[in-house]
Amino acid sequence: MASSEHHDEHGISHVASVKVLVGTGGALLMLTLVTVLATRVDFGANINLAVAMAIAVVKATLVILFFMHLKYDKLFHSVIFVSALLAAALFVGFTLMDSGQYQETNIWHPDSPPLAPFGPRPTSG
Amino acid sequence: MTPPSEQPHAAHGDDGHGHTGSPFIQHHYDDAQHQFDAGKLGIWIFLAQEVLFFSALFVAYILYRFHHPEIYSYAHKYLDVNMGAINTAVLIFSSLTAAWAVRAAQLGQRKLLIACLAGTLLCALTFLGVKYVEYSHKIHEHILFGARFDPCVSSGGIPLLTKNNECPGHKSSILWDAESAKPVQGCFADVGVDTDLRKPGVQADCEVSETTIEIKKDAAGNIEKDKKTGKWVIEPKASKPIPKACPPLSLHDEHRHDASNYPCWRAAAQPAVCRPGWFYTLRCTAGSCAPGGKASFVTSDSFKDRAECIDGRSTKDKELKNVVKGEEDKKVSPLTTYEISDCTRSDQVGIIVEYGDHEERPEEVIVTATCKAPPKAVATPNLSDLDTELVLGKKAIDPQTPVTTHDAHELEAMGPPPDNTGMFFTIYFAMTGLHGIHVLFGVFVFIWLLIRAIKGQFTPDYFGPVDFAALYWHIVDLIWIFLFPLLYLIH
Repeated sequence: MASSEHHDEHGISHVASVKVLVGTGGALLMLTLVTVLATRVDFGANINLAVAMAIAVVKATLVILFFMHLKYDKLFHSVIFVSALLAAALFVGFTLMDSGQYQETNIWHPDSPPLAPFGPRPTSG
Repeated sequence: MTPPSEQPHAAHGDDGHGHTGSPFIQHHYDDAQHQFDAGKLGIWIFLAQEVLFFSALFVAYILYRFHHPEIYSYAHKYLDVNMGAINTAVLIFSSLTAAWAVRAAQLGQRKLLIACLAGTLLCALTFLGVKYVEYSHKIHEHILFGARFDPCVSSGGIPLLTKNNECPGHKSSILWDAESAKPVQGCFADVGVDTDLRKPGVQADCEVSETTIEIKKDAAGNIEKDKKTGKWVIEPKASKPIPKACPPLSLHDEHRHDASNYPCWRAAAQPAVCRPGWFYTLRCTAGSCAPGGKASFVTSDSFKDRAECIDGRSTKDKELKNVVKGEEDKKVSPLTTYEISDCTRSDQVGIIVEYGDHEERPEEVIVTATCKAPPKAVATPNLSDLDTELVLGKKAIDPQTPVTTHDAHELEAMGPPPDNTGMFFTIYFAMTGLHGIHVLFGVFVFIWLLIRAIKGQFTPDYFGPVDFAALYWHIVDLIWIFLFPLLYLIH
């Protein structure tokens, strides 16, 4: 315990300082409060969503950089993680590009049966 | 990551490999650093996989929100922001303790490590506890996924009648009219308290009585029928009036089940109720009069002609047969029991008789209502064709919960759920469920770490498991950081 400074420099991996840990935790809690309060203000649905997502991204970045030590970690670990995020972004992006082709009704209901895949809906007799 | 046996290292303790320190440094690694780096690479690859794993659900969320924003802005009101915010704070705090646990392990601070791991574990259990409260409420109130979304309460907590009418307790009588997007009455036999009836001038003026009857049976036990009319031979016995004493109801009326007020009756219908000369008979059968019994009704043999007056719609033979459940199901016979399976029209009629004393009525009790005056608001119908006695039956008439005017307005302002609202909850349960499973797995991991920490197995040269579990835990936190605003904080 007396040799904590020693471990900071020569240990197996980086030791986060208490200041960084508590600061990150505090910032995350503050941002949670901010995002809850921001929902109560009406900026318009899209801006509200953008604000909430921006705060979530900031929070996620804080967690990744400091709690998960990625800031002090090997670059290769960042490469792995960011690759996964890029892959997820591609997944979302390409699915959304295609989404105009989908049917509106996803749950079958007797009053509004899904349209036939080809041709017009048969007229009920 | 299973703890390796200590024996090999005891045996190989000084085998020239340079393994000193923690007995958990495995033989095939060069040194502690080597082992740690290998584990760290492994956990990061696992975390990358976790991101991709969850991304499928995020795609479902984004796609559906993109197409149906109305569902999200309606359905999220069913989620309690406070619960979500508490869980967010709990997870963030647990991430802090997890990260601190790593620091404590790195510095060999055993007591602090144990405290941090215990704190993380406690937070994980708290999170699951809050989840349990949320889930059980949703299951209880049928706020479920897909087609099973059939809520017993509005998002404001106001009781609703569900499509399947299977809610616990006694619910109000609101159904949504798809066209007018306003709450309308439910089925007469099942529900049917209309708030309008409490306005002056619309109250029906009726006399309601309870008559014990006897259905005549021959020696073989068959029901005797009148030779001319074919109707069952029924002999009325004692009869007593039922007072109109049901107290005015409100949603939160504590005295609603006060036995001293029951039995009682009140009119329960739209203004079309109780036209002059009409008789509405509500019948009880044994074991069914206690609140909670299932509703059915009994008709006279002129049911077909009178179908329209039962629930305000004309009933074709085909439909009628579908609902026949009792004896003599081919012909419509006197005292045949029908189950009302589909009444959604708003202009329904009926008298609600409440047996708040919870006493069961004998098999053959007929409740008869004779209503004299039409409501002022309604045009007097042609009386000449209304002279046939109409006998309706009802096994049980639950004390109903009408909406107050204020509640009705609130419901109207909110509007009916959009189509496929259940899809929100499909996505909600899939996302939070998968996340919850991760938290549950984290609980087991932290229990394991706690045991090892208490045994003093983590040292500055061997703390990989703590570090890797903390990384896993941070990813779980990370995902919740997105789930919280996406599900709970929709504007």
